[in-house]
Amino acid sequence: MAASPHTVEQLNREAIPRARWLQAVLHFVVNRPLGAVGAVLVLLTATLALTANFVAPYDPLSTDYGAMLSPPDAHHWLGTDSFGRDVLSRIIYGSRTAMTVGLGASLLGASIGSLIGVVSAYFGGRVDLLLQRVLDVFFAFPVIVLALAVVAILGTGAGNVILAIATPMVPRCARVVRAAALSVREMPYVDAARASGFGHRRIILRHMLPNVMAPILIMTTAFLGEAILLEASLSFLGLGVQEPTAAWGLMLRGAAVEFAETAPWMAIFPGLAISLAVFGFNLFGDSLRDALDPRLRTQ
Amino acid sequence: MAFYILKRLLAMIPTLLGVATLIFLLLRVIPGDVVEARYLTQGSQFQSQDLMNQERHKLGLDKPLWRQFTGWMSGLARFDFGLSMWTSAPITDEIKLRFALSLQLAIMASIIASCLAIPLGILAAMKQDTWVDYSVRVFTIAGLATPSFWLGTLMILAMLIFFKWVPPMTFTPLWVSPKENLALLLWPALAVGYRYCAVGTRMMRSTMLEVLREDYIRTARAKGLWLKLILTRHALKNAILPVLTVISMEFAFLLGGLVVTEQVFNLNGLGMLFVEAISHRDYTLTQALVMLVASAFLVVNFMVDIAYAVLDPRIRYR
Amino acid sequence: MKSFARVFALAAAALFAWPLHAQSPHYGGELVFPVPSEPPSYDGHREETFGLIHPIAPFYNTLLRVDPNDKSGTKPYPSLAESWTESKDGKTYTFRIRKGVKFHDGSEMTSKDIKASYDKIIFPPAGVGSSRKGQYADVESVEAPDPGTVVFKLKHPSGSFIASLLSPYNFIYKADILAKDPHWYETHIMGTGPFVFVEHVKGSHVLGKKNPNYWDQGKPYLDGFRAVFMRDSAAQVAAVRGERAQIQFRGFTPANRDDLVKALGNKITVDESPWDCILLVAINHKKKPFDDPRVRRALTLALDRWEASKALSRIAIVKEVAGVQVPGTPFATPPDELAKLAGYWHDAEKSRAEAKRLLKEAGVPDGFSFTFMNRGVPMPYEPLGVWLIDQWRKVGLNVTQKVIEPAAYFGALRRGEHDVAMDFQCGYIVEPDLDMYKFTSSSRNPANYSFYEDPVVDKLYDQQSQATNPEERKKIVREFEKRVLDEQAHYLMTLQWHRIIPHSSRLHGWTITPSHYLNNTLDTVWLDP
Repeated sequence: MAASPHTVEQLNREAIPRARWLQAVLHFVVNRPLGAVGAVLVLLTATLALTANFVAPYDPLSTDYGAMLSPPDAHHWLGTDSFGRDVLSRIIYGSRTAMTVGLGASLLGASIGSLIGVVSAYFGGRVDLLLQRVLDVFFAFPVIVLALAVVAILGTGAGNVILAIATPMVPRCARVVRAAALSVREMPYVDAARASGFGHRRIILRHMLPNVMAPILIMTTAFLGEAILLEASLSFLGLGVQEPTAAWGLMLRGAAVEFAETAPWMAIFPGLAISLAVFGFNLFGDSLRDALDPRLRTQ
Repeated sequence: MAFYILKRLLAMIPTLLGVATLIFLLLRVIPGDVVEARYLTQGSQFQSQDLMNQERHKLGLDKPLWRQFTGWMSGLARFDFGLSMWTSAPITDEIKLRFALSLQLAIMASIIASCLAIPLGILAAMKQDTWVDYSVRVFTIAGLATPSFWLGTLMILAMLIFFKWVPPMTFTPLWVSPKENLALLLWPALAVGYRYCAVGTRMMRSTMLEVLREDYIRTARAKGLWLKLILTRHALKNAILPVLTVISMEFAFLLGGLVVTEQVFNLNGLGMLFVEAISHRDYTLTQALVMLVASAFLVVNFMVDIAYAVLDPRIRYR
Repeated sequence: MKSFARVFALAAAALFAWPLHAQSPHYGGELVFPVPSEPPSYDGHREETFGLIHPIAPFYNTLLRVDPNDKSGTKPYPSLAESWTESKDGKTYTFRIRKGVKFHDGSEMTSKDIKASYDKIIFPPAGVGSSRKGQYADVESVEAPDPGTVVFKLKHPSGSFIASLLSPYNFIYKADILAKDPHWYETHIMGTGPFVFVEHVKGSHVLGKKNPNYWDQGKPYLDGFRAVFMRDSAAQVAAVRGERAQIQFRGFTPANRDDLVKALGNKITVDESPWDCILLVAINHKKKPFDDPRVRRALTLALDRWEASKALSRIAIVKEVAGVQVPGTPFATPPDELAKLAGYWHDAEKSRAEAKRLLKEAGVPDGFSFTFMNRGVPMPYEPLGVWLIDQWRKVGLNVTQKVIEPAAYFGALRRGEHDVAMDFQCGYIVEPDLDMYKFTSSSRNPANYSFYEDPVVDKLYDQQSQATNPEERKKIVREFEKRVLDEQAHYLMTLQWHRIIPHSSRLHGWTITPSHYLNNTLDTVWLDP
């Protein structure tokens, strides 16, 4: 279960020369073609999100009641929706929502989770026991209730969706990181740091956390795809991001279902966008996991 | 062994207590209550504050929090969940049919996931790093990446347009009419099972790879695929265990978490009931549901642990 | 557009064809219909959702009902009361109660039961919920001088009293049961209606079978009915399309209608009607700059309602441009005159220019942003929310939407947390008293979510309520409307809902009305073999 310290160190050497990075990338592409495909999809999504204002042919909010529900043509490549808004532009802007929520939620979930995991492993004893019991409770707690409750308490909107998605990720990340950190705790350099009288905070942040980076990175990439999918599901249920913001899950809600027969482009393209993006993140994350730590794959 | 089982059983109690406390508090933090949900619906211009306070009194919502909490705890200890605040009907009545549906769907989906994961995983391992391996991974990861609400909508629409077929309107228990029952549940079970086979396939592939790396199998490498399979048969038994574990871990989630799938396939299961109960602020029903799903999770975990202890001597009597 | 023409042609054809082959009703068969929500309890006096009416109303009768053949859904019609008289001073109403009506347990229904039921509605004992108590604030007493007579005494004359007795929620319960336990009817069903309760499987369906001893000889025609609970609207449509269900009584969307007509041709008949429900926009007078009537008027002037009527009626269950009364009903303002109100002009450009001018005059900067609170209900809240925000964007207002889940929504409105918010008004009958109460000052009306005090509005309301001459009442209603929607722009109206019921052509004897609460007793409904 534990991360091997060797791979961990390799990953964190700041002094790795540029050429070796390039080599590593090449190595990754050749040995893991699927991972490379994933990486391309991830890059594509990220680029679209960053450059949406330049790439999108239309303003994603501008309605045109004269062109409601028009099929794909030269003007609107992917057709228009029930308000005459350009579907392609909304998909492009939707990548922004997906990336913001996906990155936000997985970073938030992973960082809180890892902190809890490392603290739990570092202190051990009663602190560990108590934290583990609390995590057990969260594990047994139905995820959907947690998400619904967060949304019901805080309301909808991107920020709250990030929280709602990150919450159930915390215990999962904490558990994995704790397992990794337990073995790091026994490493001589942590003992040494303790012996030389460093404070707990310094040891945790400087010595423990960097050495469990590999599992954290793996968890984060694994969460990313999941977070994008969860965001889409929440928005589809009306509990996520709200109109008129462009978001993929939102585009599949309401009119897309109603007009699925007469205007299928409204349902098909945003669905494809979600699938491709999540597919990319999963493929990439999967290969990264293999590359970084072969032992973790059985956890 | 008996001691170990007892220890694991007792360890569930604090977790359940924690879950009970958490859901109790969470529900009270959510703004609004069942009385508001009932009476402040439409225009409701004729609604008096008086009436609402009377209703709150009747439901015991005006009692101090600790009194409400001890009341709920003592009910819990007696396995008495009480009445739904929304419908005033016994909670067991509310849950019964939905639980049957969700349980069956979860079992069917788990079986489908296992049936996909085990052969696919073995195949991928046998043909490691070939196009077969890659296709298996693409196939399973695509399942994980496709939003179930989207896939479900497309599935239903396709059946409607091409086969003019519409699923039954209501859930009929399997023992009443297997045909009606399966007509309703087979499609969602396939969609969900496909979705959840990815993790199992991955696990199967990697354990299988480890088995294949063992010496005596390497020597058989030249002798063809089937021989290899036969040789590894006994090793497979141990390799399948972790696959079943990951799939059964999902089980509790499948029981109460398939909100979107239930919505798209028009199933009245526990997932939708969760959404309804929370949106009605039906404290008693939500609490009971949470306890039900949490217990299911713990029981499955417990059984997996026991299975390991029995099958794998190294873990015994931790 | 072609499919629309087809739908209307079909609807019209159905309408004209009806009297031509007015076949005699066919007996037998089970009516199956999806219901989008499950009843919270069985007590009609307490609940206010169609989720109770659709599956439960067939088990009961009311004192009076709406004429089951009247498309306007406003004509009083005898039910358990055979006839009624009004005293000269308008303060006493005497009802003659039908004889020989039996409850499903075999006991005789008398005036005692009607008194007990109305006492529970109007003067509920402590701890008993009654949603419509406030509607009968004018009633002084209900008396049952003999088994065949019920007398209602009012404090003052009221033009809308009979209309208030048409409420489909006012089931007549058995007095003896209510005396023993006033909560009994929350969890049990026992009435005098055309159908007898068989079972309610939670999360699945309600089943009713024909009442063989029904007082109305020869009715009901159906052997029974099955109300199936289906949340998802796509599944409801699929059920009708797959001919597993014959009708859904709430209403489908325009897209659903077109799909059904395309798939089923003449096997489907479409009934349409304006719907006595409307989404309004509440503008919180307690928040700046919305205390300024110029800003509120700008908000309504920004809306191009006529364009929306054309566009949104393709994608949402709304259609008619409306004032404070359902278009086409006796007290409604005709379209030409309506077009004179702010925000109802046909010239959208002029209207928007005026909106911008007013905003500027009020010192609201271009690109001013505020939050619009909406309710998390897909249809038609969502499309109308998108529309409103888009319209306001066109006069330089930058609006973000905050969506609150349905259960918490009106609680949030009551707390007044919003700047501008969607509000909802829906009635079982079109009647100025019931429809316009919403706009009276917040001191007398807790559902005024714009939070204003306007004595002029209140005075006009009382005047129209007491006006005995319909023409005079019409005039006051018009004045009221101008005050609320134009001069002060206290509230603004979106579009009137539009009810679309595509149903199996096998189904007869049911009339669409402007309310999805009406005509659900099912006694007159029959199915072709």
